[in-house]
Amino acid sequence: MRFKIQRFDPDKDKKPYLQDYVLENVTPGMMLRDALLELKAKDESLTFRHSCGEGVCGSDALNINGTNGLGCLTPVSDLKEPIIVRSVPGMPIVRDLVVDMTQFFHHYRAVKPYLTVTDPMPEVELHQTPEQRDKLDGLYECILCGCCTTSCPSFWWNPDKFRGPAALLQAYRFLADSRDQATDERLQELDGPYRMFRCHTIMNCVNVCPKGLNPTEAIHKIKKMMIKEMV
Amino acid sequence: MSWRAQGMRTWLLQRLTAVYLLLYGIFFGIYISLSSVQDFESWRALFTHPISNIATAVFFYSILYHAWVGIRDILIDYVPVAYLRFFLWVGMTFSLAVLAAWVSMILFNVVNL
Repeated sequence: MRFKIQRFDPDKDKKPYLQDYVLENVTPGMMLRDALLELKAKDESLTFRHSCGEGVCGSDALNINGTNGLGCLTPVSDLKEPIIVRSVPGMPIVRDLVVDMTQFFHHYRAVKPYLTVTDPMPEVELHQTPEQRDKLDGLYECILCGCCTTSCPSFWWNPDKFRGPAALLQAYRFLADSRDQATDERLQELDGPYRMFRCHTIMNCVNVCPKGLNPTEAIHKIKKMMIKEMV
Repeated sequence: MSWRAQGMRTWLLQRLTAVYLLLYGIFFGIYISLSSVQDFESWRALFTHPISNIATAVFFYSILYHAWVGIRDILIDYVPVAYLRFFLWVGMTFSLAVLAAWVSMILFNVVNL
């Protein structure tokens, strides 16, 4: 099985290039991450992030044949050869397939991804009805791999100002939470032409999310909350 | 109006103007195909009634505002150089304002109050 893998060594290379690799022993059900590990066993300079290997940690977001996805959840048998593996687009490359995620987590922090409660804390836990809890389904599952944000053209054009789909999904995760009491502040923070309104419902985010989440819908719901707030 | 409020407000107005443009377009299309507008005089007469005159003025203001938001979005997305973006934005805003004034003049000249 033939691969073309992005290589970049900041000490030697001016820009990234593709290096050819061939993997002989492709086993049934082999994921791209397994293949990369096999290749790394032969060429240990090949650098990429990975950890859990089952789509939970969100470490191995890659651009695979032009589409973002997780190496650990992508069977190599489904991919057209040569399999072109690059780092996710729009992010500074640290080395080979490893990118600097600072910008991504800056936006994540900016939406304050934690409950804000102004009332005095109760003696017991903050309770939710099953219906209130259901509203968080499709939001809390995000593993922050960055597949969505780095596939979003609006993020490519304005990476310093547009929050990106991942952060906006998390913004809605806390707006939708019955226990959170910072709705006004959260909505105000997202107004303006850049932070949320760069989204033009391109929906690349929905297309690539390895967890099947829908950031575009979350953004739409934030807009609906803003309209309700206005009237 | 603060810069921050330029998100929700412009987004909402762009959509509301789109609805008006569609409704006006459909209504005007049906009206013009059913009526007997043959020459310049009957065409001009269409816009002399205050209601049709004002509805047409709102149509043009809507299309200009809608375009202003749309072009602004394109500039924000595709013109990364700040001073060039600002220059084009000022030029675009000025051009659309001139068109708005021109439309106002034309429509005000024919209206029968």
